[in-house]
Amino acid sequence: MTDKYQTTRRALLKKGLGLGAAAALPSSFYINHAWAQDVTYDGGTFDAEGATLNIGEWGGGWEEFVRKALTDQFEKDFNCKVNWDSSFPWFPKFVTQGPKEPVFDICNWNLPNLTQTKQAGDYFLTTDEVKANVPNAADCWDFAFASGAGVTWAYMPYVYAYRTDAGDPVNSFRDFWAERFANKRGTYGTENGLMHAFFMATAKEFGKDQYDMDAAFQALEGAMPMKISEFTFNMLSLIERGEVDIAVHIEGEALSLKRKGVPMDVWQWDSHPILTQTKTISRYSDPMQKRLAFALLNRTLSPEFLNAFGDEFMWRPTNSNADITAPLKEAGVMNTADATKAFWVPDWDFFVQNKQDITERLNSIFGL
Amino acid sequence: MERKIPLPLLVLAVLGFAYMLLPILIVVLAGLTSGEFLTFPPEGLSLRWVIAFLQSEKYLSAFFFSFRLALMTMVVSTILGTAAALFLSRSRFVGRGAMRAFFLSPVVLPGVVVGFALYAFYISAGMGISRTIWGLWIGHILYSTPYVIGTVGAALATYDVSLEEAARSLGASPWRAFRKVTLPNIAQGIQAGSIFAFIVSFGQFEVSLFLSAPNSEPLPIAMYNSLRYKFDPSAAAAGIFAITLVTASVLLTNRLVNIRRLLDRQ
Repeated sequence: MTDKYQTTRRALLKKGLGLGAAAALPSSFYINHAWAQDVTYDGGTFDAEGATLNIGEWGGGWEEFVRKALTDQFEKDFNCKVNWDSSFPWFPKFVTQGPKEPVFDICNWNLPNLTQTKQAGDYFLTTDEVKANVPNAADCWDFAFASGAGVTWAYMPYVYAYRTDAGDPVNSFRDFWAERFANKRGTYGTENGLMHAFFMATAKEFGKDQYDMDAAFQALEGAMPMKISEFTFNMLSLIERGEVDIAVHIEGEALSLKRKGVPMDVWQWDSHPILTQTKTISRYSDPMQKRLAFALLNRTLSPEFLNAFGDEFMWRPTNSNADITAPLKEAGVMNTADATKAFWVPDWDFFVQNKQDITERLNSIFGL
Repeated sequence: MERKIPLPLLVLAVLGFAYMLLPILIVVLAGLTSGEFLTFPPEGLSLRWVIAFLQSEKYLSAFFFSFRLALMTMVVSTILGTAAALFLSRSRFVGRGAMRAFFLSPVVLPGVVVGFALYAFYISAGMGISRTIWGLWIGHILYSTPYVIGTVGAALATYDVSLEEAARSLGASPWRAFRKVTLPNIAQGIQAGSIFAFIVSFGQFEVSLFLSAPNSEPLPIAMYNSLRYKFDPSAAAAGIFAITLVTASVLLTNRLVNIRRLLDRQ
């Protein structure tokens, strides 16, 4: 062995000190890590220097419209690139990557899936944190922040879509169970958000409150046989063909069929639950991405975009300064504080906690 | 001498083919509907949804992306699958059966499981290929290669190894013996396997669901998204083009094989 490999006491102490210092490094790394820095946004445009913003958003015709009406211009204005992922579901992607390596910087959700992810970890900024950095959020109705994470930007009431040539107009939630609709009722598979809302509304109607699952199971058993669909647009085709006379649906999509001349109408449930589109911002995104996410959410909440989106898909805006699209306005829908007061957001925390039991039981009722 | 097929067997075969081809016919007719929704039977015939497909930037980019991905997958799967089949057929060692089962396992497992497992693996390994085209490509190769192993393995099972041994005994190098003797004999198995790999990759949905990269949607995912948010028949119109492509590739390959056979005879 040569001298240079011999360890002296002094050298050992030096190495020990070095190791101690190295061991202390991780804590300072986290303190100075990019996502730990404060990011603010005031509503203006800025140069993102070609940064990439990862977004989780629906695809198909929705994507084509939103790209044209929102993100294409956004990329030019902010000198950034939008990475659009439409391969739903988001939940497993978020959970697999963990909160500190967020799969998306900004993500669009329906509330049950959002709630499931929110319960799984510290993934998202709170509504207060978002509100402080998204100027247009100040103009939104209070229910836009009911999720506790992110901001709801558009919504539609749940309705029954029914054929008007199949008897008297529908005017009660329990009409779905009427004898005349036997074997002509339509609802959705257990993974569809509309079925989740229908389940909670049924519990509220037939039980003590929205938490009365047994009452809902019993009522849904009484509604069988039903036609079970996976998608709302597929349900519209069943209504159009007369295979279904009454179906769980959402206002705008159902009315789009009425506008095509099919003899049908909608009836809004008297418990007034709403289907929502909510955007969250990931807590641990890097500063530039987080800033871009604030900016994109701010543009999403702008009356200009919400008006265009409402005209295309007949969703209602949560921004009090945006307009209700003309066909809904003609039907008496208004965007006022009074008009939004009755809306009910089911307790999705409860639903998610009991989702496995609910899913299994519903699958057995549906014979799936 | 003409071989006669027993009538009951013939009827069963015709019914079987009809049963398998019926969904294709339904997709084609649904894509040619003049109605607003994806329904069967179609409400009159029209090319409006075919034109809508051809004008849709989203669909066209997804179609060509899937085509390129399937081609890339086919090339690698064919090489890997052929090598694996040769190894399995020519090696004698304990655990060969287990290794064969291992190679074929991606087909046995549900695609969603394979897709999610790969996705989780990419992330935990820190390879930086989760939700990239490369990660998706690896997933497709993994899922397509067993089909090549299966078809090439079947070709090798009926191949007489003594032919190659004869070539070696006449002085051919191992590579030359393989290229000149073995390869032409198992070529049909390789071609069938490569077609399978192409078709499986082109129509792959479950694996792509977790692995597809942002802004690069394979056609099945684009069709699924279209059905989720707009139940219009453009998805069926896209299906017509997918069916046409797959049928054309099968026919073309058959044609090439036959031409070569013809040349070989001359």
